[in-house]
Amino acid sequence: MVRCGVRLASVYSNGQPTPRRYSMSGTSKRKVDSRILVETPEGVDFEFVLAGPGKRSAAFIADLFIKAGFLSLGVVLPLALSPGRPLIFGVGVGLWLALWFVVDWFYGSIFESMWNGQTPGKRLYHLRVIRTNGTPITSASAIGRNFLLAADSQPLLICGLYTVGLISMLATRRMQRIGDLVFDTMVVDESRERASSIREVVEEVEPLLRSECTRRFAVPERTLALIERLFDDTRLIPDGLREVIATPLSISIRKRMGISESSPIGWNLNGRSSGTALRHTYFLLRVLKTFSSSDIGTPGPVSGGGGRSE
Amino acid sequence: MNRERFIRQRGNDWYQYEQIIKHLRGTPLRYWRSADVLALSRLYRSICYDLSLVQSREWGAQLEQYLNDLVAQGHNCLYRSPPRSVSVLPGFFLTGFPALLRKRKLAFLLSLSLFTVPLVVSAVVAYLRPDVAEMVAGHETLESAKQNFSEQHWNVVDERYASDRSKMAGFYLKNNAGISFQAFALGVFCGIGSALILVSNGISLGMTAGFVSSLRDETASNFFAFIVSHGAFELPAIVIAGTAGLVLGYGVLCPGSRTRTAALQHHARESLLLALGAGMMLLLAALIEAFFSPLPVARWIRCVVGMCLWAIVLAWLLLARPSGDESSLQIARSDEERPDHEN
Repeated sequence: MVRCGVRLASVYSNGQPTPRRYSMSGTSKRKVDSRILVETPEGVDFEFVLAGPGKRSAAFIADLFIKAGFLSLGVVLPLALSPGRPLIFGVGVGLWLALWFVVDWFYGSIFESMWNGQTPGKRLYHLRVIRTNGTPITSASAIGRNFLLAADSQPLLICGLYTVGLISMLATRRMQRIGDLVFDTMVVDESRERASSIREVVEEVEPLLRSECTRRFAVPERTLALIERLFDDTRLIPDGLREVIATPLSISIRKRMGISESSPIGWNLNGRSSGTALRHTYFLLRVLKTFSSSDIGTPGPVSGGGGRSE
Repeated sequence: MNRERFIRQRGNDWYQYEQIIKHLRGTPLRYWRSADVLALSRLYRSICYDLSLVQSREWGAQLEQYLNDLVAQGHNCLYRSPPRSVSVLPGFFLTGFPALLRKRKLAFLLSLSLFTVPLVVSAVVAYLRPDVAEMVAGHETLESAKQNFSEQHWNVVDERYASDRSKMAGFYLKNNAGISFQAFALGVFCGIGSALILVSNGISLGMTAGFVSSLRDETASNFFAFIVSHGAFELPAIVIAGTAGLVLGYGVLCPGSRTRTAALQHHARESLLLALGAGMMLLLAALIEAFFSPLPVARWIRCVVGMCLWAIVLAWLLLARPSGDESSLQIARSDEERPDHEN
């Protein structure tokens, strides 16, 4: 994932066709992870998180089991009904073979057209197929992209090795397999697990005390937002690198608030003690905890946002 | 307005919006109430505005993420692909499909030659040198063909016939339609996969045909009487599936003024429709092959019926025209030319 993200960043900076980015503040927002921006007709950009090969394979394997389930159900019925009745047996086997054909070629497309881009496996892993412009998938694209699994699964030995599909996913900006490329679709990850990550990170941190501070006890919202972004996805930035980024920020915030250069509590993101290695990171986390607490910093309005309004 | 006031002010709308989305997601499209849809589209627009406000003021990744998710969900609800009824399908199959095929004349002719040239060559070879045929196609295959067609298998239409032939119907469908869809899909590798499938199928059919002809007895006439009726659908369908694959391959090889991906996407839709049409033809072929081809009726009757089927299929493919402009070629185009965002 991380490797992919870095590659994505390099593609963006190469001046390849990129989705429009907003830049109200003058700085263009570089995407260094698997997110993709889509502009709505309302003129707003919003982002989708692309699903990588790992999660997609998991969903695919779940679907395989479900397909096998369908087929074994289909074979049990004629066997149960058939003793002594060869006609029913023959028709049953014929229908079962037809079912096999349908499951083989149309399983994905039937579900993806009915469930707006999801198969049972994709639903399990919160994945969804959408078109690259962000609109829901059409039946034609659903059928086509699933037919092209036959190409993505190459080379075939005993079963498909899906090498073609994997290489294609790694080589394209939207992590598309051949079927996605040809029918202009992509698979996005809709799980919201990332949203809760900050709350977890901040959990074991002590807030700043007013007594530590000799000047203004406040931090501007933009600075907070910047810090939040720094901790947005803990997988993406290694601890050491984050400390390097955090250092100047932490020093200037301390200066501004008038907090003395103390508190050398050893700490790192995994809770392991490592001397004073990550003290600037830790300080920023304390700032985050102190000033973006209560109903704002956490994904507060997610639940019961209505209760809080007047 | 500062951030906290903003959240307090807008939170109610966000909450309401989430409730509506949760409700609509659980209901099929036709049960959506207009009040909900109106409220949703109003709230959606206001939340789009909220999102851009938060983005421009940089009020934090969390808040932005949250609103972003809300917008994404609403976008997904509001911008669906128009439900296209299944009722256009028969019309497409009857008239649009042949028209589409004629539009792709060159690919079709190429596919036809990739299939028939190996077929004719291998038939001639197998006819003249049955031993070569055995080397190429394998002893067992040819022996079983010989056995199958050396005599009339079915003398009466009874329960056993129905049972056995139903089984075979499923088998023919799975096997043949599977091959044709593969011929379509593998076309994406510059058309090479499709060409391979066409050639190999041509060779194996030609080998069998040449071999049974060389036997100079009942077998040959049984074979052709069996094959002629469903062949009317099956053989063109294989060639058409190959055409679909070659069209895809053409998109990769000759993108013209488009990027290679765009060219591929441009050709893909028509190609897919060709493959689906071929699939339909193979469904018919499977039914005919299972229930009509082995019928215990005189050979000449089956031959006459088979010839009629050939005439019908050829006339259909060559002459069928969509009436007016409500053709199914529109199916092929509609998605491509539809503006990206359309309610």
